[in-house]
Amino acid sequence: MVEIKVKYRGKEQILKFDKEKVKAIDILKALNLSSEHAFVAKNGELASEDEIISPEDKIKVINAISGG
Amino acid sequence: MTKKLKKGTRCTICKAKGENDKAVVYLPHHRLALCKEHFIEWFEKRVEKTIKEFKMFKLDEKILVAVSGGKDSLALWNALTKLGYQADGFYIDLGIGDYSEESKKLSIDFAESIGRKLHIVPMKEEIAPIPEIKQSTKRPACSACGTVKRYYMNKIAKELGYNVVATGHNLDDEVATLFGNTLGWDINYLKRQYPVLQEENGFVRKVKPLCKITEKESALYSFFNNIEYIEYECPFSEGASSIEYKEIWSKIEEKSPGSKLRFYSEFLKKMYPILNTQNKNINVSEIKTCIICGEPSFNEICSVCKLKEKVGIKS
Repeated sequence: MVEIKVKYRGKEQILKFDKEKVKAIDILKALNLSSEHAFVAKNGELASEDEIISPEDKIKVINAISGG
Repeated sequence: MTKKLKKGTRCTICKAKGENDKAVVYLPHHRLALCKEHFIEWFEKRVEKTIKEFKMFKLDEKILVAVSGGKDSLALWNALTKLGYQADGFYIDLGIGDYSEESKKLSIDFAESIGRKLHIVPMKEEIAPIPEIKQSTKRPACSACGTVKRYYMNKIAKELGYNVVATGHNLDDEVATLFGNTLGWDINYLKRQYPVLQEENGFVRKVKPLCKITEKESALYSFFNNIEYIEYECPFSEGASSIEYKEIWSKIEEKSPGSKLRFYSEFLKKMYPILNTQNKNINVSEIKTCIICGEPSFNEICSVCKLKEKVGIKS
């Protein structure tokens, strides 16, 4: 199991995955987000969907959808 | 068409120039794979093209950007400044707890970073903080909020001598609104859904230069430019129907890239002119002047002066 610390909407949370290799797209899926309007930043750089994420990476998720 | 960016894909522009930079963004609806630098360039060119396409404003006009502290308004302000326009900011402090405090600070910091003026209007002093207005009027917060934003944006722009107010509405916002108005065939709203509303009867010109930029493109532009913006929603916006519509449109777009842009641009091209052939100025004739504040209004007393009355403020 892999645990990834993620910053999302100004808050930190820990996501747990039942597999060895976690990709950026898995993080979006775990947060129930579509790559149509969200993306992952790994160590300050934009990560492609199949980029491998490890627990030591600094991860931030940006969701572009906003309402109001 | 595959939506994902394949590993090792080169930037379309770099490739054409004989360079080798890798693409980091793929825009399926434009068939473009771009590196960070060329994405930023593409974004700014697209904004400029939109400004010219709809004749929004010229280089010598003074522009007031309605700034919320969110990604769209700050991205817009950044792009306009980089394109050489004279754009200052306007922020309404709505008094919605931490949300307002944080977004105000981010707006002030951003204004400083680009060296432009930011005008701040505190609702607390003008009427009352939005949560209080909500309580004393029993109106939904978003409806009172929309009313005060429109009112003060227009009033302050006129007072400070700006010709144009620019808002950060993006393609997804416009599509969600158009979709909602189409569901109810709300003709009077549909015939005013255009990225430029000309100045008339006490209203300044209003423009939406990001109307052909998607929400994700706007977020990416802010990200690549290290723009710090408020990343969470206003606590009152939860469950807004616009978010639901956006999610529905995300699914359509995923299946068939370009749908959002087509839905919106073809409306502007084909439907908007038809809606405006008859009774062109029907709304204009109904516009009066508020007997209390003198601002344009559909009734004798404008909706902001009515809000003030309900909150217990004597004008």
